[in-house]
Amino acid sequence: MRGYFSVFRMRLRMELQYRGAMIGGILCQMFFGIVLVALYRALYAGKPQALPIEAVTTYVWLQQAFFRMLVSTDPDLLDKIRSGNISYDLCRPVNIYWFYYSRIAAQKLMGSLMRGIPMLVFAFLLPKGWGLSLPASAPGLLLGLLALIFGFLCMCALENISMGFTMRTLDPRGIQGMLGLLMMTFSGNLLPLTLFPDSWQKVITVLPYAQLMDAPIRLYSGIYAPQEAPRILAVQIVWTFVLITAGICLWNANKKRLIVQGG
Amino acid sequence: MDTFKLYIRSIGMLLKGHLQYPASFVMQTVAQLVMEGGEMLAVILLVDRFERVNEWTGGDLFFFFGMMSVSFYITEFFGRGVTGDFPSMVRTGKLDTLLLRPRTIFVQVLCSGTDPRRITCIAVGVAALAVGSRMSGVVWTFAKVLALVESVCMSCMLILGLFLIEAVFCIHSVKSVELVNALTYGGRSACQYPIDIYPRPLRILFSVAAPFALTMHVPAAWILGKPLYGWPAWTTFVTPLSGAVVFALMVLIFNRGMKFYRSTGS
Repeated sequence: MRGYFSVFRMRLRMELQYRGAMIGGILCQMFFGIVLVALYRALYAGKPQALPIEAVTTYVWLQQAFFRMLVSTDPDLLDKIRSGNISYDLCRPVNIYWFYYSRIAAQKLMGSLMRGIPMLVFAFLLPKGWGLSLPASAPGLLLGLLALIFGFLCMCALENISMGFTMRTLDPRGIQGMLGLLMMTFSGNLLPLTLFPDSWQKVITVLPYAQLMDAPIRLYSGIYAPQEAPRILAVQIVWTFVLITAGICLWNANKKRLIVQGG
Repeated sequence: MDTFKLYIRSIGMLLKGHLQYPASFVMQTVAQLVMEGGEMLAVILLVDRFERVNEWTGGDLFFFFGMMSVSFYITEFFGRGVTGDFPSMVRTGKLDTLLLRPRTIFVQVLCSGTDPRRITCIAVGVAALAVGSRMSGVVWTFAKVLALVESVCMSCMLILGLFLIEAVFCIHSVKSVELVNALTYGGRSACQYPIDIYPRPLRILFSVAAPFALTMHVPAAWILGKPLYGWPAWTTFVTPLSGAVVFALMVLIFNRGMKFYRSTGS
Protein backbone atom coordinates (compact mmCIF):
# COMPACT_ATOMS: atom_id res chain seq x y z
CA MET A 1 0.00 0.00 0.00
CA ARG A 2 2.83 2.40 0.85
CA GLY A 3 4.32 1.90 -2.58
CA TYR A 4 1.15 2.99 -4.33
CA PHE A 5 0.88 5.95 -2.04
CA SER A 6 4.38 7.17 -2.85
CA VAL A 7 3.74 6.86 -6.59
CA PHE A 8 0.69 8.98 -5.99
CA ARG A 9 2.71 11.57 -4.04
CA MET A 10 5.47 11.76 -6.63
CA ARG A 11 3.03 12.40 -9.45
CA LEU A 12 1.34 15.10 -7.37
CA ARG A 13 4.65 16.93 -7.14
CA MET A 14 5.29 16.58 -10.84
CA GLU A 15 1.95 18.10 -11.67
CA LEU A 16 2.84 21.12 -9.56
CA GLN A 17 5.83 21.88 -11.79
CA TYR A 18 3.94 23.35 -14.73
CA ARG A 19 2.47 26.48 -13.22
CA GLY A 20 2.81 28.72 -16.27
CA ALA A 21 0.93 26.32 -18.49
CA MET A 22 -1.64 26.01 -15.75
CA ILE A 23 -2.44 29.74 -15.62
CA GLY A 24 -2.84 29.85 -19.38
CA GLY A 25 -5.06 26.80 -19.20
CA ILE A 26 -7.24 28.32 -16.51
CA LEU A 27 -7.76 31.56 -18.42
CA CYS A 28 -8.58 29.58 -21.53
CA GLN A 29 -11.06 27.42 -19.65
CA MET A 30 -12.73 30.51 -18.16
CA PHE A 31 -13.13 31.95 -21.60
CA PHE A 32 -14.75 28.77 -22.88
CA GLY A 33 -17.06 28.82 -19.88
CA ILE A 34 -18.16 32.39 -20.56
CA VAL A 35 -18.84 31.64 -24.21
CA LEU A 36 -20.95 28.61 -23.31
CA VAL A 37 -22.91 30.51 -20.66
CA ALA A 38 -23.56 33.34 -23.13
CA LEU A 39 -24.85 30.82 -25.66
CA TYR A 40 -27.21 29.12 -23.22
CA ARG A 41 -28.45 32.48 -21.98
CA ALA A 42 -29.32 33.50 -25.52
CA LEU A 43 -31.14 30.21 -26.07
CA TYR A 44 -33.00 30.59 -22.77
CA ALA A 45 -34.05 34.15 -23.60
CA GLY A 46 -36.03 32.78 -26.56
CA LYS A 47 -37.60 29.79 -24.86
CA PRO A 48 -37.28 29.43 -21.08
CA GLN A 49 -37.17 25.86 -19.82
CA ALA A 50 -38.43 24.09 -16.72
CA LEU A 51 -34.86 23.99 -15.44
CA PRO A 52 -33.77 27.54 -14.44
CA ILE A 53 -30.82 29.13 -16.24
CA GLU A 54 -28.88 29.28 -12.94
CA ALA A 55 -28.82 25.48 -12.86
CA VAL A 56 -27.43 25.39 -16.41
CA THR A 57 -24.69 27.96 -15.72
CA THR A 58 -23.76 26.11 -12.52
CA TYR A 59 -23.54 22.93 -14.56
CA VAL A 60 -21.30 24.59 -17.14
CA TRP A 61 -18.91 26.03 -14.55
CA LEU A 62 -18.57 22.83 -12.55
CA GLN A 63 -17.87 20.93 -15.78
CA GLN A 64 -15.27 23.50 -16.82
CA ALA A 65 -13.66 23.56 -13.40
CA PHE A 66 -13.17 19.80 -13.30
CA PHE A 67 -12.28 19.49 -16.97
CA ARG A 68 -8.83 18.18 -16.11
CA MET A 69 -10.38 15.29 -14.28
CA LEU A 70 -12.03 14.13 -17.47
CA VAL A 71 -9.31 14.93 -19.94
CA SER A 72 -5.70 14.51 -18.97
CA THR A 73 -3.15 12.69 -21.00
CA ASP A 74 -0.06 11.11 -19.56
CA PRO A 75 2.45 11.24 -22.42
CA ASP A 76 5.14 9.51 -20.32
CA LEU A 77 2.96 6.49 -19.80
CA LEU A 78 2.06 6.33 -23.49
CA ASP A 79 5.74 6.58 -24.34
CA LYS A 80 6.54 3.75 -21.97
CA ILE A 81 3.97 1.56 -23.68
CA ARG A 82 5.19 2.42 -27.16
CA SER A 83 8.89 2.11 -26.43
CA GLY A 84 8.58 -1.05 -24.38
CA ASN A 85 9.96 0.60 -21.25
CA ILE A 86 6.82 -0.61 -19.57
CA SER A 87 8.73 -3.83 -18.96
CA TYR A 88 10.68 -2.05 -16.22
CA ASP A 89 7.44 -1.29 -14.45
CA LEU A 90 6.39 -4.91 -14.80
CA CYS A 91 9.55 -5.96 -12.95
CA ARG A 92 8.56 -3.97 -9.90
CA PRO A 93 7.10 -5.92 -7.01
CA VAL A 94 3.76 -4.16 -7.28
CA ASN A 95 0.44 -4.86 -8.91
CA ILE A 96 0.67 -3.09 -12.24
CA TYR A 97 -2.99 -2.14 -12.29
CA TRP A 98 -2.91 -0.32 -8.96
CA PHE A 99 0.50 1.13 -9.75
CA TYR A 100 -0.91 2.91 -12.78
CA TYR A 101 -4.19 3.61 -11.04
CA SER A 102 -2.35 5.65 -8.37
CA ARG A 103 -0.39 7.45 -11.04
CA ILE A 104 -3.50 8.38 -13.00
CA ALA A 105 -5.35 9.36 -9.83
CA ALA A 106 -2.58 11.74 -8.77
CA GLN A 107 -2.47 13.43 -12.13
CA LYS A 108 -6.22 13.88 -12.30
CA LEU A 109 -6.57 15.01 -8.71
CA MET A 110 -3.81 17.61 -8.82
CA GLY A 111 -4.75 18.81 -12.30
CA SER A 112 -8.34 19.36 -11.36
CA LEU A 113 -7.64 20.88 -7.93
CA MET A 114 -5.07 23.35 -9.23
CA ARG A 115 -7.28 24.47 -12.05
CA GLY A 116 -10.62 23.85 -10.41
CA ILE A 117 -10.29 25.99 -7.29
CA PRO A 118 -9.37 29.27 -9.03
CA MET A 119 -12.08 28.60 -11.61
CA LEU A 120 -14.72 28.00 -8.95
CA VAL A 121 -13.75 31.21 -7.14
CA PHE A 122 -13.96 33.13 -10.42
CA ALA A 123 -17.33 31.59 -11.26
CA PHE A 124 -18.73 32.47 -7.82
CA LEU A 125 -17.81 36.10 -8.37
CA LEU A 126 -19.71 36.39 -11.63
CA PRO A 127 -23.15 38.04 -11.45
CA LYS A 128 -26.23 35.91 -10.85
CA GLY A 129 -27.41 34.12 -13.95
CA TRP A 130 -23.84 34.04 -15.30
CA GLY A 131 -21.87 32.28 -12.63
CA LEU A 132 -21.94 29.43 -10.20
CA SER A 133 -24.84 29.36 -7.74
CA LEU A 134 -24.60 28.14 -4.18
CA PRO A 135 -25.53 24.50 -3.58
CA ALA A 136 -29.22 23.79 -3.21
CA SER A 137 -28.79 22.65 0.41
CA ALA A 138 -26.11 21.56 2.85
CA PRO A 139 -26.90 17.83 2.39
CA GLY A 140 -26.86 18.46 -1.37
CA LEU A 141 -23.32 19.82 -1.13
CA LEU A 142 -22.09 16.94 1.04
CA LEU A 143 -23.75 14.28 -1.09
CA GLY A 144 -22.44 15.99 -4.21
CA LEU A 145 -18.91 15.85 -2.82
CA LEU A 146 -19.33 12.20 -1.92
CA ALA A 147 -20.63 11.48 -5.42
CA LEU A 148 -17.68 13.38 -6.85
CA ILE A 149 -15.30 11.02 -5.06
CA PHE A 150 -16.99 8.00 -6.62
CA GLY A 151 -17.05 9.77 -9.95
CA PHE A 152 -13.33 10.33 -9.59
CA LEU A 153 -12.71 6.64 -8.87
CA CYS A 154 -14.80 5.69 -11.91
CA MET A 155 -12.89 8.15 -14.03
CA CYS A 156 -9.50 6.75 -13.08
CA ALA A 157 -10.77 3.22 -13.77
CA LEU A 158 -11.99 4.30 -17.22
CA GLU A 159 -8.65 5.90 -17.98
CA ASN A 160 -6.83 2.75 -16.93
CA ILE A 161 -9.02 0.65 -19.24
CA SER A 162 -8.15 3.02 -22.06
CA MET A 163 -4.44 2.56 -21.20
CA GLY A 164 -4.96 -1.19 -21.25
CA PHE A 165 -6.35 -0.92 -24.77
CA THR A 166 -3.36 1.18 -25.76
CA MET A 167 -1.15 -1.72 -24.65
CA ARG A 168 -2.90 -3.82 -27.30
CA THR A 169 -3.05 -1.39 -30.20
CA LEU A 170 0.05 0.69 -29.37
CA ASP A 171 -1.61 3.67 -31.00
CA PRO A 172 -3.69 5.81 -28.63
CA ARG A 173 -5.46 7.73 -31.36
CA GLY A 174 -7.90 5.24 -32.85
CA ILE A 175 -10.27 3.40 -30.57
CA GLN A 176 -9.18 5.29 -27.44
CA GLY A 177 -9.81 8.55 -29.21
CA MET A 178 -13.32 7.38 -29.84
CA LEU A 179 -13.80 6.31 -26.21
CA GLY A 180 -12.65 9.78 -25.19
CA LEU A 181 -15.19 11.41 -27.46
CA LEU A 182 -18.00 9.24 -26.18
CA MET A 183 -16.99 10.43 -22.76
CA MET A 184 -17.00 14.11 -23.73
CA THR A 185 -20.51 13.74 -25.13
CA PHE A 186 -22.11 11.56 -22.47
CA SER A 187 -20.42 13.07 -19.44
CA GLY A 188 -22.14 16.36 -20.17
CA ASN A 189 -19.01 18.28 -21.07
CA LEU A 190 -20.03 19.07 -24.64
CA LEU A 191 -23.62 19.83 -23.71
CA PRO A 192 -25.14 19.57 -20.21
CA LEU A 193 -26.89 16.21 -19.91
CA THR A 194 -29.84 18.11 -18.46
CA LEU A 195 -30.37 19.69 -21.89
CA PHE A 196 -30.49 16.35 -23.70
CA PRO A 197 -34.02 15.33 -24.76
CA ASP A 198 -36.14 14.33 -21.77
CA SER A 199 -36.86 10.93 -23.30
CA TRP A 200 -33.11 10.12 -23.29
CA GLN A 201 -32.57 10.98 -19.62
CA LYS A 202 -33.45 7.52 -18.26
CA VAL A 203 -30.77 5.86 -20.37
CA ILE A 204 -27.97 8.42 -20.36
CA THR A 205 -28.01 8.93 -16.61
CA VAL A 206 -27.20 5.27 -15.89
CA LEU A 207 -24.30 5.10 -18.37
CA PRO A 208 -20.90 5.07 -16.68
CA TYR A 209 -20.09 8.46 -18.21
CA ALA A 210 -22.92 10.14 -16.32
CA GLN A 211 -21.43 8.98 -13.02
CA LEU A 212 -18.28 11.07 -13.46
CA MET A 213 -19.52 14.64 -13.30
CA ASP A 214 -23.22 14.63 -14.05
CA ALA A 215 -24.41 12.84 -10.90
CA PRO A 216 -22.35 15.01 -8.51
CA ILE A 217 -23.47 18.20 -10.27
CA ARG A 218 -27.13 17.22 -10.14
CA LEU A 219 -26.88 16.48 -6.44
CA TYR A 220 -25.10 19.78 -5.85
CA SER A 221 -27.67 21.87 -7.67
CA GLY A 222 -30.64 20.00 -6.25
CA ILE A 223 -31.87 18.49 -9.53
CA TYR A 224 -31.59 15.19 -7.67
CA ALA A 225 -33.15 15.63 -4.24
CA PRO A 226 -31.06 14.38 -1.28
CA GLN A 227 -33.65 11.59 -0.76
CA GLU A 228 -32.67 10.14 -4.13
CA ALA A 229 -29.01 10.06 -3.15
CA PRO A 230 -28.84 6.41 -2.01
CA ARG A 231 -30.00 5.24 -5.44
CA ILE A 232 -27.55 7.54 -7.27
CA LEU A 233 -24.64 6.54 -5.07
CA ALA A 234 -25.50 2.86 -5.46
CA VAL A 235 -25.34 3.18 -9.24
CA GLN A 236 -21.98 4.90 -8.92
CA ILE A 237 -20.58 2.25 -6.60
CA VAL A 238 -21.71 -0.53 -8.92
CA TRP A 239 -20.02 1.15 -11.88
CA THR A 240 -16.84 1.76 -9.89
CA PHE A 241 -16.63 -1.95 -9.10
CA VAL A 242 -17.47 -3.03 -12.64
CA LEU A 243 -14.95 -0.69 -14.24
CA ILE A 244 -12.15 -1.57 -11.84
CA THR A 245 -12.78 -5.30 -12.27
CA ALA A 246 -12.87 -4.93 -16.04
CA GLY A 247 -9.60 -3.00 -15.89
CA ILE A 248 -7.89 -5.60 -13.73
CA CYS A 249 -9.00 -8.38 -16.11
CA LEU A 250 -7.77 -6.41 -19.09
CA TRP A 251 -4.35 -5.79 -17.53
CA ASN A 252 -4.02 -9.41 -16.43
CA ALA A 253 -4.78 -10.52 -19.98
CA ASN A 254 -2.27 -7.98 -21.27
CA LYS A 255 0.45 -9.36 -19.03
CA LYS A 256 -0.03 -12.83 -20.51
CA ARG A 257 0.32 -11.71 -24.10
CA LEU A 258 3.10 -9.19 -23.56
CA ILE A 259 6.08 -9.49 -25.86
CA VAL A 260 8.93 -7.07 -25.31
CA GLN A 261 10.71 -6.34 -28.53
CA GLY A 262 14.30 -6.31 -27.35
CA GLY A 263 16.15 -3.03 -27.25
CA MET B 1 3.92 29.94 -59.13
CA ASP B 2 6.96 27.87 -58.44
CA THR B 3 6.20 28.05 -54.72
CA PHE B 4 2.67 26.90 -55.30
CA LYS B 5 3.89 23.87 -57.26
CA LEU B 6 6.29 23.07 -54.47
CA TYR B 7 3.45 23.22 -51.93
CA ILE B 8 1.25 20.88 -53.99
CA ARG B 9 4.15 18.43 -54.34
CA SER B 10 4.95 18.38 -50.63
CA ILE B 11 1.34 17.95 -49.66
CA GLY B 12 1.02 15.13 -52.17
CA MET B 13 4.03 13.39 -50.72
CA LEU B 14 2.81 13.83 -47.15
CA LEU B 15 -0.56 12.41 -48.13
CA LYS B 16 1.12 9.35 -49.56
CA GLY B 17 3.03 9.02 -46.31
CA HIS B 18 -0.15 9.17 -44.26
CA LEU B 19 -1.74 6.47 -46.41
CA GLN B 20 1.11 4.05 -45.78
CA TYR B 21 -0.69 2.86 -42.66
CA PRO B 22 -4.21 2.40 -44.00
CA ALA B 23 -5.74 0.72 -40.94
CA SER B 24 -4.52 3.41 -38.57
CA PHE B 25 -5.56 6.09 -41.03
CA VAL B 26 -9.09 4.74 -41.37
CA MET B 27 -9.50 4.42 -37.60
CA GLN B 28 -8.32 7.96 -36.99
CA THR B 29 -10.54 9.28 -39.75
CA VAL B 30 -13.53 7.55 -38.21
CA ALA B 31 -12.56 8.97 -34.81
CA GLN B 32 -12.59 12.43 -36.36
CA LEU B 33 -16.03 11.71 -37.78
CA VAL B 34 -17.30 10.76 -34.33
CA MET B 35 -15.79 13.93 -32.88
CA GLU B 36 -17.35 16.30 -35.38
CA GLY B 37 -20.54 14.24 -35.30
CA GLY B 38 -20.64 14.84 -31.55
CA GLU B 39 -20.35 18.59 -32.06
CA MET B 40 -23.11 18.42 -34.64
CA LEU B 41 -25.22 16.33 -32.27
CA ALA B 42 -24.94 19.08 -29.66
CA VAL B 43 -26.34 21.61 -32.13
CA ILE B 44 -29.12 19.23 -33.19
CA LEU B 45 -30.11 18.60 -29.57
CA LEU B 46 -30.10 22.32 -28.80
CA VAL B 47 -32.29 23.03 -31.81
CA ASP B 48 -34.56 20.17 -30.75
CA ARG B 49 -35.02 21.74 -27.33
CA PHE B 50 -35.01 25.45 -28.08
CA GLU B 51 -36.14 25.51 -31.75
CA ARG B 52 -34.59 28.91 -32.43
CA VAL B 53 -32.44 31.66 -31.01
CA ASN B 54 -33.49 35.25 -31.69
CA GLU B 55 -34.34 35.42 -35.40
CA TRP B 56 -32.29 32.34 -36.32
CA THR B 57 -34.19 29.13 -37.03
CA GLY B 58 -32.76 25.62 -36.69
CA GLY B 59 -31.78 25.54 -40.36
CA ASP B 60 -29.87 28.82 -39.98
CA LEU B 61 -27.98 27.44 -37.01
CA PHE B 62 -26.95 24.33 -38.97
CA PHE B 63 -25.79 26.60 -41.77
CA PHE B 64 -23.59 28.65 -39.43
CA PHE B 65 -22.22 25.46 -37.89
CA GLY B 66 -21.40 24.12 -41.36
CA MET B 67 -19.60 27.32 -42.37
CA MET B 68 -17.36 27.08 -39.32
CA SER B 69 -16.62 23.35 -39.68
CA VAL B 70 -15.77 23.62 -43.35
CA SER B 71 -13.50 26.64 -42.93
CA PHE B 72 -11.78 25.46 -39.78
CA TYR B 73 -11.05 21.95 -40.95
CA ILE B 74 -9.97 22.95 -44.46
CA THR B 75 -7.42 25.12 -42.68
CA GLU B 76 -6.31 22.22 -40.50
CA PHE B 77 -6.19 19.90 -43.51
CA PHE B 78 -3.94 22.10 -45.61
CA GLY B 79 -2.20 24.19 -42.98
CA ARG B 80 -1.29 21.57 -40.38
CA GLY B 81 2.30 22.85 -40.42
CA VAL B 82 1.09 26.12 -38.94
CA THR B 83 -1.90 24.96 -36.92
CA GLY B 84 -0.29 21.97 -35.24
CA ASP B 85 3.34 21.17 -35.83
CA PHE B 86 5.07 24.50 -35.42
CA PRO B 87 5.57 24.55 -31.61
CA SER B 88 7.24 21.16 -31.69
CA MET B 89 9.45 22.28 -34.59
CA VAL B 90 10.71 25.14 -32.44
CA ARG B 91 11.12 23.01 -29.33
CA THR B 92 13.05 20.24 -31.03
CA GLY B 93 15.15 22.57 -33.16
CA LYS B 94 13.80 21.06 -36.37
CA LEU B 95 13.13 24.57 -37.57
CA ASP B 96 16.88 25.11 -37.99
CA THR B 97 17.00 22.90 -41.05
CA LEU B 98 14.43 25.12 -42.73
CA LEU B 99 16.71 28.11 -42.35
CA LEU B 100 19.21 26.54 -44.72
CA ARG B 101 16.86 26.14 -47.65
CA PRO B 102 16.22 28.73 -50.36
CA ARG B 103 12.55 29.34 -49.57
CA THR B 104 10.85 31.53 -46.98
CA ILE B 105 10.26 29.91 -43.61
CA PHE B 106 6.54 30.46 -43.81
CA VAL B 107 6.21 28.54 -47.07
CA GLN B 108 8.32 25.70 -45.75
CA VAL B 109 6.34 25.45 -42.54
CA LEU B 110 3.15 25.36 -44.56
CA CYS B 111 4.65 22.64 -46.77
CA SER B 112 5.70 20.55 -43.80
CA GLY B 113 2.36 19.24 -42.63
CA THR B 114 -1.08 18.12 -43.66
CA ASP B 115 -3.83 16.44 -41.73
CA PRO B 116 -5.94 14.36 -44.15
CA ARG B 117 -7.92 12.82 -41.28
CA ARG B 118 -9.90 16.05 -41.17
CA ILE B 119 -11.64 15.08 -44.38
CA THR B 120 -14.51 13.57 -42.42
CA CYS B 121 -14.91 16.76 -40.38
CA ILE B 122 -15.15 18.72 -43.60
CA ALA B 123 -17.75 16.22 -44.81
CA VAL B 124 -19.85 16.77 -41.68
CA GLY B 125 -19.58 20.51 -42.26
CA VAL B 126 -20.70 20.18 -45.87
CA ALA B 127 -23.63 18.03 -44.77
CA ALA B 128 -24.60 20.66 -42.19
CA LEU B 129 -24.41 23.37 -44.87
CA ALA B 130 -26.61 21.34 -47.21
CA VAL B 131 -29.19 20.48 -44.56
CA GLY B 132 -29.16 24.02 -43.21
CA SER B 133 -29.69 25.69 -46.56
CA ARG B 134 -32.46 23.20 -47.39
CA MET B 135 -34.26 23.79 -44.10
CA SER B 136 -33.96 27.55 -44.38
CA GLY B 137 -35.13 27.46 -48.01
CA VAL B 138 -32.10 29.22 -49.48
CA VAL B 139 -32.44 29.86 -53.22
CA TRP B 140 -28.90 29.57 -54.56
CA THR B 141 -27.86 32.22 -57.08
CA PHE B 142 -24.45 32.82 -58.59
CA ALA B 143 -23.85 35.73 -56.24
CA LYS B 144 -24.65 33.58 -53.20
CA VAL B 145 -22.30 30.80 -54.30
CA LEU B 146 -19.61 33.42 -54.84
CA ALA B 147 -20.25 34.86 -51.37
CA LEU B 148 -19.99 31.40 -49.82
CA VAL B 149 -16.72 30.59 -51.58
CA GLU B 150 -15.22 33.95 -50.72
CA SER B 151 -16.33 33.61 -47.12
CA VAL B 152 -14.79 30.15 -46.71
CA CYS B 153 -11.50 31.21 -48.35
CA MET B 154 -11.22 34.35 -46.23
CA SER B 155 -12.14 32.50 -43.05
CA CYS B 156 -9.40 29.98 -43.76
CA MET B 157 -6.90 32.83 -44.11
CA LEU B 158 -8.16 34.37 -40.89
CA ILE B 159 -7.78 31.09 -39.01
CA LEU B 160 -4.27 30.59 -40.38
CA GLY B 161 -3.49 34.14 -39.31
CA LEU B 162 -4.72 33.47 -35.77
CA PHE B 163 -2.62 30.32 -35.50
CA LEU B 164 0.36 32.41 -36.62
CA ILE B 165 -0.08 34.47 -33.45
CA GLU B 166 0.67 31.33 -31.49
CA ALA B 167 3.65 30.64 -33.74
CA VAL B 168 5.06 34.11 -33.10
CA PHE B 169 4.70 33.65 -29.34
CA CYS B 170 6.32 30.30 -29.70
CA ILE B 171 9.40 31.73 -31.43
CA HIS B 172 9.92 33.95 -28.42
CA SER B 173 8.99 31.66 -25.56
CA VAL B 174 9.72 28.19 -27.03
CA LYS B 175 6.80 26.75 -25.13
CA SER B 176 3.45 26.75 -26.91
CA VAL B 177 1.05 29.24 -25.42
CA GLU B 178 -2.27 27.70 -24.51
CA LEU B 179 -3.88 31.08 -24.01
CA VAL B 180 -3.95 31.79 -27.74
CA ASN B 181 -6.32 28.83 -28.01
CA ALA B 182 -8.98 31.16 -26.67
CA LEU B 183 -8.90 32.96 -30.02
CA THR B 184 -8.51 29.94 -32.29
CA TYR B 185 -10.44 27.06 -30.74
CA GLY B 186 -12.48 29.46 -28.63
CA GLY B 187 -13.35 31.34 -31.80
CA ARG B 188 -14.44 28.12 -33.40
CA SER B 189 -16.70 27.18 -30.48
CA ALA B 190 -18.19 30.64 -30.14
CA CYS B 191 -18.60 31.54 -33.80
CA GLN B 192 -20.30 28.38 -34.90
CA TYR B 193 -23.32 30.31 -33.67
CA PRO B 194 -24.24 33.71 -35.14
CA ILE B 195 -22.43 36.59 -33.49
CA ASP B 196 -25.46 38.70 -32.58
CA ILE B 197 -26.62 36.32 -29.86
CA TYR B 198 -23.58 37.19 -27.74
CA PRO B 199 -23.13 40.13 -25.35
CA ARG B 200 -21.19 43.13 -26.55
CA PRO B 201 -17.65 42.31 -25.29
CA LEU B 202 -17.66 38.96 -27.09
CA ARG B 203 -19.09 40.58 -30.20
CA ILE B 204 -16.30 43.16 -30.23
CA LEU B 205 -13.67 40.46 -29.69
CA PHE B 206 -14.89 38.40 -32.61
CA SER B 207 -15.48 41.37 -34.91
CA VAL B 208 -12.23 43.26 -34.29
CA ALA B 209 -9.52 41.07 -32.77
CA ALA B 210 -10.52 37.83 -34.46
CA PRO B 211 -13.06 38.96 -37.05
CA PHE B 212 -14.94 35.71 -37.57
CA ALA B 213 -18.11 37.79 -37.61
CA LEU B 214 -16.88 39.72 -40.64
CA THR B 215 -15.50 36.82 -42.65
CA MET B 216 -18.21 34.33 -41.81
CA HIS B 217 -21.37 35.70 -40.26
CA VAL B 218 -21.97 38.73 -42.48
CA PRO B 219 -21.97 36.64 -45.70
CA ALA B 220 -23.78 33.69 -44.10
CA ALA B 221 -26.54 35.93 -42.80
CA TRP B 222 -26.90 37.54 -46.21
CA ILE B 223 -27.09 34.13 -47.93
CA LEU B 224 -29.82 33.15 -45.48
CA GLY B 225 -31.70 36.33 -46.41
CA LYS B 226 -31.41 37.93 -42.95
CA PRO B 227 -28.58 40.45 -43.30
CA LEU B 228 -26.65 40.89 -40.06
CA TYR B 229 -27.49 44.23 -38.38
CA GLY B 230 -29.45 45.01 -41.61
CA TRP B 231 -26.23 45.88 -43.44
CA PRO B 232 -26.50 46.41 -47.24
CA ALA B 233 -25.61 43.64 -49.70
CA TRP B 234 -22.24 45.02 -50.78
CA THR B 235 -20.84 44.53 -47.27
CA THR B 236 -21.16 40.76 -47.84
CA PHE B 237 -18.34 40.94 -50.34
CA VAL B 238 -16.20 43.55 -48.61
CA THR B 239 -16.10 42.61 -44.92
CA PRO B 240 -14.67 39.07 -45.45
CA LEU B 241 -11.53 40.69 -46.87
CA SER B 242 -10.60 41.39 -43.25
CA GLY B 243 -9.48 37.74 -43.19
CA ALA B 244 -6.85 38.47 -45.81
CA VAL B 245 -5.79 41.59 -43.90
CA VAL B 246 -5.26 39.64 -40.67
CA PHE B 247 -3.38 36.96 -42.59
CA ALA B 248 -1.08 39.44 -44.37
CA LEU B 249 -0.41 41.26 -41.13
CA MET B 250 0.45 38.09 -39.27
CA VAL B 251 2.74 36.79 -42.02
CA LEU B 252 4.57 40.11 -41.82
CA ILE B 253 4.90 39.87 -38.04
CA PHE B 254 5.90 36.22 -38.31
CA ASN B 255 8.71 37.07 -40.73
CA ARG B 256 9.91 39.84 -38.43
CA GLY B 257 9.65 37.49 -35.47
CA MET B 258 11.84 34.93 -37.21
CA LYS B 259 14.70 37.45 -37.07
CA PHE B 260 14.70 36.96 -33.31
CA TYR B 261 14.61 33.18 -33.54
CA ARG B 262 17.25 31.51 -31.40
CA SER B 263 17.63 27.83 -31.84
CA THR B 264 17.13 25.55 -28.88
CA GLY B 265 19.91 23.35 -30.22
CA SER B 266 19.27 19.69 -30.56
